[in-house]
Amino acid sequence: MAGPLATPDTTVDEEHDLDRPWVTVVWNDPVNLMTYVTYVLQELFGYDEPTATTLMLQVHHEGRAIVSSGPRERMEHDTSRLHAYGLWASYQRDS
Amino acid sequence: MRPFRRRGADVVARLDLAEAGIIGLLLDQLEQLLEAAEDDVAGDPVLARLFPDGHRGDPALAADYRELTESALRSGKADDLATVRATLPPEGGDVRLDPEQAAAWLRCTNDLRLALGTRLEITDDTEPPDEVTGEESQQLAVYYWLTSVQGSLVDALAAGRAGRR
Repeated sequence: MAGPLATPDTTVDEEHDLDRPWVTVVWNDPVNLMTYVTYVLQELFGYDEPTATTLMLQVHHEGRAIVSSGPRERMEHDTSRLHAYGLWASYQRDS
Repeated sequence: MRPFRRRGADVVARLDLAEAGIIGLLLDQLEQLLEAAEDDVAGDPVLARLFPDGHRGDPALAADYRELTESALRSGKADDLATVRATLPPEGGDVRLDPEQAAAWLRCTNDLRLALGTRLEITDDTEPPDEVTGEESQQLAVYYWLTSVQGSLVDALAAGRAGRR
């Protein structure tokens, strides 16, 4: 189960590609509105609306979705940006 | 309440006296939570939801993440709260927000809903109360009212973004 990983603001160079296996995951929670999650994913990652909606629905139906991937430091940063918006997020090594 | 709608680059809603009072009260409660000692996070489900672990399954990484991010997260939430308080008409009336203020309202109303929803142990199956009979159903009614406020704000902002494209 892999989320769509193409992000407009993700540049993949060789150096980053080496430590690529980190991902940011958004987890389902009963409070955050579906429209809010879609809005925040667009706002923070520059996803277009259909992509953000697909990720939101994946969170809703499967319990989680990978919303970004890259070096660990950037995944920490992405997680903290999601936490600032109250989304239930964490980062981990890609499994 | 008149829900949030777009007015040019701004969004506008109208709150009556009681509604402004409820938001003011919830802001006071959230402020107290945010001022709680950092050590309390693990023991309080609401704080644990507002300041989640950044990493699951690796306590050392989770601790690193917390040390790195928690104070900025805390001050960001406090700044949002201050913006909402400054733009909330205490006697009720129009709430007119520029894009930056609207973003603060969006995040802060979400924090208020997370705090209330966690305390009320909301699940996907929770329903709005049919009638308000006691403290818990009253809190639940407030939660769903706040959901409609935030929902209208999300819709107004999303419509604005679609309009810019």
